[in-house]
Amino acid sequence: MMMAANRVTTGVVATALACATALTAIVNAQTRPRSTPPNITGAWERIGPGALSTAQATGPRLPAATPPPLKPQFLKEWQARQQAAREATAKGQPFGINWVNCLPDGMPGMMSGPFPMEVLQTPGQVTIIQESFTQVRRILLDRPQKGIDEIDPTFYGHSVGKWEGDTLVVDTIGIKEPVQYQNVPHSDQMRIKERIHLVQGDVLWDEIAVEDPVTLEKPWTVTFAYRRMPDYTLLEYICEDNREYIDDQGRQRIRLQSPSQK
Amino acid sequence: MTNRYVTGVVAAGLFLLVLGSRVAAHHSFAVYDHTQTFTVTGTVTRFQWTNPHGFLELDYRAADGSMKHYTIELTSINMLTRAGWTSRSVKPGDEIRAMVAPLLNGEPGGLLMELSFTDGRKLESPVPAPGTFKRTPEQELK
Repeated sequence: MMMAANRVTTGVVATALACATALTAIVNAQTRPRSTPPNITGAWERIGPGALSTAQATGPRLPAATPPPLKPQFLKEWQARQQAAREATAKGQPFGINWVNCLPDGMPGMMSGPFPMEVLQTPGQVTIIQESFTQVRRILLDRPQKGIDEIDPTFYGHSVGKWEGDTLVVDTIGIKEPVQYQNVPHSDQMRIKERIHLVQGDVLWDEIAVEDPVTLEKPWTVTFAYRRMPDYTLLEYICEDNREYIDDQGRQRIRLQSPSQK
Repeated sequence: MTNRYVTGVVAAGLFLLVLGSRVAAHHSFAVYDHTQTFTVTGTVTRFQWTNPHGFLELDYRAADGSMKHYTIELTSINMLTRAGWTSRSVKPGDEIRAMVAPLLNGEPGGLLMELSFTDGRKLESPVPAPGTFKRTPEQELK
């Protein structure tokens, strides 16, 4: 009898506890606000190795930069091109790159700086503006990604993102093939995955993993760090009067006179 | 293991050097001599406040007594602004003394290292990786 009563009591307590737990979960889901994304709106400037800024790098140590894990047939060509570029630069006859023609970096190069960038958080979208060449990318929040064959390739591609806790997780596809970071070749299958998050109050990281089943053996990871610039307003940048040009040998040259003076 | 580690570190270091040099050379300044500078004193004829780079042109009296024209490339005006320059920092007619890294191809042009005015005012040029340019200010442009 006693044992039976105990069993009943235990059962009642267990049921009550289970109900209470379920109720708490329901109440929490209804009343606790969804986690608020951190405020990363404002101006930022890249810091650390490779940054143009001489500002003191702070925050955790960045993972070391690694060469792109290209498949052998692409790696050989890339290494040869990089070597040729170094030799041309050493001879004072640098290769003409997109910048010489005032073409912007596109993705993921625009995240490497070199100038300050601005992050804007608005409902449904995070917008990133890189000061050099006034580059703009739009990250659409909480939307499904499209298929690669549904997108016309562009410099910045099609980016969707979502906040996972304090991290903005972004997926980008549809980058034009001539838009290359570090001259690394890619196919139309390239996918750029980013994890953008604060590592301390005023230091932001963008952990980038480039995937490409055609050109890469495995994802190529690059991390950039940025410091907050609380008092900085981005400046205009228009390629207005370019004296630089690429000659018929593919070398960067300079005109001593402005094209507009002629 | 240790060898592999050392090789890895060296490879990463080399890669960083390459990465670093690319970043420093937004629009490449490799067309300029990194081993010497010249100093040129003259009168500003044009101060061009534009991107991708600003320009400064001047007339100076050469060693043979003739007047010559010289073109000086600056950095992006965004970098100049962050270094304290404005579109009014230099005006046509200003008497200036400029230290430049000359064009390697011998044409009459150079990259600005620093600028001083007759009233003692000085402006530093925010050239990326300034330590890669050897300064020989005693050399006057002939």
